[in-house]
Amino acid sequence: MITVIKAPPFATVQDLGRSGHRSVAVPPAGALDRRAIQIGNLLVGNETGAAAVEWAIGAGEIRFDCRTTVALTGASADVELAGRVALPHAALNVVPGDTLRVNRLVQGSWLYICVAGGIEVPPVLGSRSTYLPGSFGGVAGRTLRAGDRLPIGTPARPRLAGAGESERAGEITDWGTPHSAAPLAVLAGPDRRFLPDAEWARFLDTEFRVSNAVNRSGYRLHGPAFHPDAPADLPSVPTCAGAIQIPVDGNPIVLMPDGPTVGGYPIVAVIISTEIGRLAQRRPGEGVRFHQVELAAARDALRRDAAALERLARASS
Amino acid sequence: MSDPPHFAPLGDSALTIRFGRGIDPRLNARVTAAAYGIRELALPGVLDVVPAYDSLAVFFDPLALDPRLLEERLRGAIGQGNSAAPGVGTGRTHLVPVRYDGPDLEWVAAQVGLSRDEVIRRHAEPTYQVYFLGFVPGFGYLGPLDPSLVLPRRSEPRRRVPPGSVAIAGAQTGIYPLETPGGWHLLGRTDLVLFDAQREPPSLFAPGDHVHFVPVAS
Repeated sequence: MITVIKAPPFATVQDLGRSGHRSVAVPPAGALDRRAIQIGNLLVGNETGAAAVEWAIGAGEIRFDCRTTVALTGASADVELAGRVALPHAALNVVPGDTLRVNRLVQGSWLYICVAGGIEVPPVLGSRSTYLPGSFGGVAGRTLRAGDRLPIGTPARPRLAGAGESERAGEITDWGTPHSAAPLAVLAGPDRRFLPDAEWARFLDTEFRVSNAVNRSGYRLHGPAFHPDAPADLPSVPTCAGAIQIPVDGNPIVLMPDGPTVGGYPIVAVIISTEIGRLAQRRPGEGVRFHQVELAAARDALRRDAAALERLARASS
Repeated sequence: MSDPPHFAPLGDSALTIRFGRGIDPRLNARVTAAAYGIRELALPGVLDVVPAYDSLAVFFDPLALDPRLLEERLRGAIGQGNSAAPGVGTGRTHLVPVRYDGPDLEWVAAQVGLSRDEVIRRHAEPTYQVYFLGFVPGFGYLGPLDPSLVLPRRSEPRRRVPPGSVAIAGAQTGIYPLETPGGWHLLGRTDLVLFDAQREPPSLFAPGDHVHFVPVAS
């Protein structure tokens, strides 16, 4: 069991999300930085899809009521475990009564606290992910509060332990620098045709800024406006996480895993799956650029990520 | 005669198939039928099939399925008429009891130049088609609405619409499943629970269902 002593302003339980319910307007939800939660889970001996705490910018504290292992991934954070500096990307042993205190997130927006056995809140529609707009999943469909007690399951495999594992995880996954400002790869979207070629070139040439309007449903970007030449009565179409919509005001909105399943704004581009987490980790005010890739490159990136996770799983067992 | 379906990738893990353009009951019935047809194929690696008005999306595991092969397979299936019969799906018709005492009923009546009772009669008369679900879990876009009741949505959306509110906007009607912001005109309320994540199935409505509103005393 984990007890929340002091909750940050925004933390929820997430796993890799639910699937198969979009046709009744239930989006996947799930971790915003899928790579980070999967690495954390493997480090503590879980399956990649175990539920963890997704923690946004802000201080807070949790207490472990059992002996277990924890790993911190995603945002770089100033964290103390039982009063000592907690290293990221490592399996850390905890004993009953130990507290984990997050002082602040130094870089990135979402910290994952992965615990051996996973957070065993009851699954809803096939997932433990909190879906806030629908008030279900996670802990009563809401953000964590002081006093919440989170049950922990039994780990799938023995955990990775020992010195130097942080470096090892970094080497294996080549994910030591998840916060690089490199452009994010996008595929042309189904409504790309509504931007003339010169406008599309300008889109790919623009440095946007992450606005303050960011949440688990979408990230609104600021920059020069774009006005796709789409008919006003364009019927709504299915959407997905990573979809870059251009609403009437011309500022792009990138949909995230809690975003609506169907939307009415033209989708000019879609961020490739493996890079959605990189956008999620950007903070308001930070820059965002896009570069276009073809489907084959997106699929290569997916395979590379899967292979790296596979290597990490082998090394951690 | 209908256009051949148009395929386009929606990112690396979904394909969009567009069957035409517009909000039209017959076109939408074709989309819904295709969605159920694709679901029934139970192709390994296909994770979800999501219909909208004139298009649908097929979500898949990109590590398990090559989208080009999926497209070929789907072209074949759609071409063979797995989607030919409109109106397939669950085939259910829901009777929805409504207390027509919504805060916008008077306003709507004045706008369209009809009596309250006539607005109610025209809203409760048709059997609506569930075009698709979107916006929030369990929210069905229903139509077509009687042309005399068509109004643009509110210029200022309400910040909170109570669950069960029966509303109209454009040529459509719908029921708010949860308390959410909303820009539609509220004609009444129902006590039916449109969505409950703990129920099986969680959503009362499915794409292609039909809905009939039944006025009840307030």
